[in-house]
Amino acid sequence: MKTTALRGTAVTARVGLALGVAVAVCFVTGLISHFIQHPQPWFFWPTRPVWLYRVTQGLHVISGIAAIPLITVKLWSVWPKLFERPIIGGLVRQIERLSILVLVGSMLFQLSTGLLNIAQWYAFKFFFTTSHYAMAYVAAGAVLVHIGVKLPIIRRALGEPVDDTPVLVGPTRRSVLRGTWLAVALATVVTAGQTIPLLRKVSVLAPRSGLGPQGVPINRSAIAAGVLRSARSPDYRLTVTNGSTTRAFSFADLQAMPQATHRLPIACVEGWSVDAEWTGVVLADLVAAVGASRESDVRMISLEPPGPYSRTVVPARHARDAKTLIALKLNGQTLDLDHGYPCRLIAPTRPGVLQTKWLSRIEVVAR
Amino acid sequence: MITRIALIVLGLILGVYGAVLVWENPPVIIMRILVWALVGVVLHDAVFAPVCVALGFAARRLIPGKWWAPIAVAAFCSVVLAFLAIPVYGKPGMRPDNLTVLDRNYPLGLSISLAIVWLCLLIYFLVARLLPVRQDEMVEQESAGDVEPQPPAV
Repeated sequence: MKTTALRGTAVTARVGLALGVAVAVCFVTGLISHFIQHPQPWFFWPTRPVWLYRVTQGLHVISGIAAIPLITVKLWSVWPKLFERPIIGGLVRQIERLSILVLVGSMLFQLSTGLLNIAQWYAFKFFFTTSHYAMAYVAAGAVLVHIGVKLPIIRRALGEPVDDTPVLVGPTRRSVLRGTWLAVALATVVTAGQTIPLLRKVSVLAPRSGLGPQGVPINRSAIAAGVLRSARSPDYRLTVTNGSTTRAFSFADLQAMPQATHRLPIACVEGWSVDAEWTGVVLADLVAAVGASRESDVRMISLEPPGPYSRTVVPARHARDAKTLIALKLNGQTLDLDHGYPCRLIAPTRPGVLQTKWLSRIEVVAR
Repeated sequence: MITRIALIVLGLILGVYGAVLVWENPPVIIMRILVWALVGVVLHDAVFAPVCVALGFAARRLIPGKWWAPIAVAAFCSVVLAFLAIPVYGKPGMRPDNLTVLDRNYPLGLSISLAIVWLCLLIYFLVARLLPVRQDEMVEQESAGDVEPQPPAV
């Protein structure tokens, strides 16, 4: 079968369907991750199951990577249309070409910046978070417009059999599809191990192996955060305030308080995650010690000098949760400096970037 | 029809919202974002696609028809692996203060995964030869020489 006959709506529509699913999963899980970090009054995020964010963000990166072979085949199947007559044409044709340019450009932007980001290779000189978020709407919008325009063709193509002429020797459209799904499975297996423990050993191209000090990888190191001196200072105190009520705890004070141990994952926005056992003081107990209500949000302030993530706000639902800890120990050992010594926040269903390390102040937010 | 209009309208709303968000950046940043997206399109349309077409053209002349599909699949898998290896291969994003990121031997990993892909291809060929020929294949593989010119004498 000549390659030109392999291309056609039968392949394009089916690969497009899979790509559409991947884009939808990316978009929804991406929005979830965004709104956890930029809370809105209408956005609700539960505290159970504790691994919820681990799954949503894991899916985000997995479907983004799956989209790479899918978009490659999709583009292969329609590339000759770039040269279809009329090359210039009238206004409608120009609009159509422009819409496809936006679609392809925004999709390639999202997939390339996403892939580079999880490997921490900032080859681009714009902020990843804001541009990836903005372009997500452009890409999602372009995909919806594309589906709207092509809907009759899609319906017809999906209703027809894949191979309409019998092929004796050589590739068939079915073999193109099978090759596509195989490539998607391969791409997933070599990368998803950074969040799926079962695949950890075989994900040879994953940016992280899941190893690290005390069994957990890190993102921001103590040196990079500039906390080496302040974290190890003997004058260290964790100050908890509620309006004018203030209490200060030394490391020994925190150790003397009733401790709880919980198994919670740390799940990064970059799509990796690891389960671990955390021991520490329940945040709700510290907050109660300064007489705050259980309906208050709580602000976490780090020893790290002011920056985008040195202050975070924990919503009330998470702040009062019994599993939200101010952790002093990780997997049975005193918290490593890179993991946030003297103490860090660890809460269920929150992204790693919001699990503030090297805590210096906890402030109950006035209602 | 309503569905189509709804999809297009919703798509336009989302797209315009995204454009507004992009527009909130300083002009230099907007340019960089647009250039990055355009470079992606150009790299595909003007580099990657023509190279694939040329390779496919050449390969079709060199490789017998019945092996073309499995080899093409193996080649595509290799391209996908190579692509995924780009951001990790030389560990370009690695910083000295954090040894827990990019902490694998990526050249080795890429080599192993490529080897496995082509090994699977080899196994596929061996299995395809060793399996009994199916009835359809038996018929399809017959050529003009298998048909006798005259019916057998009674």
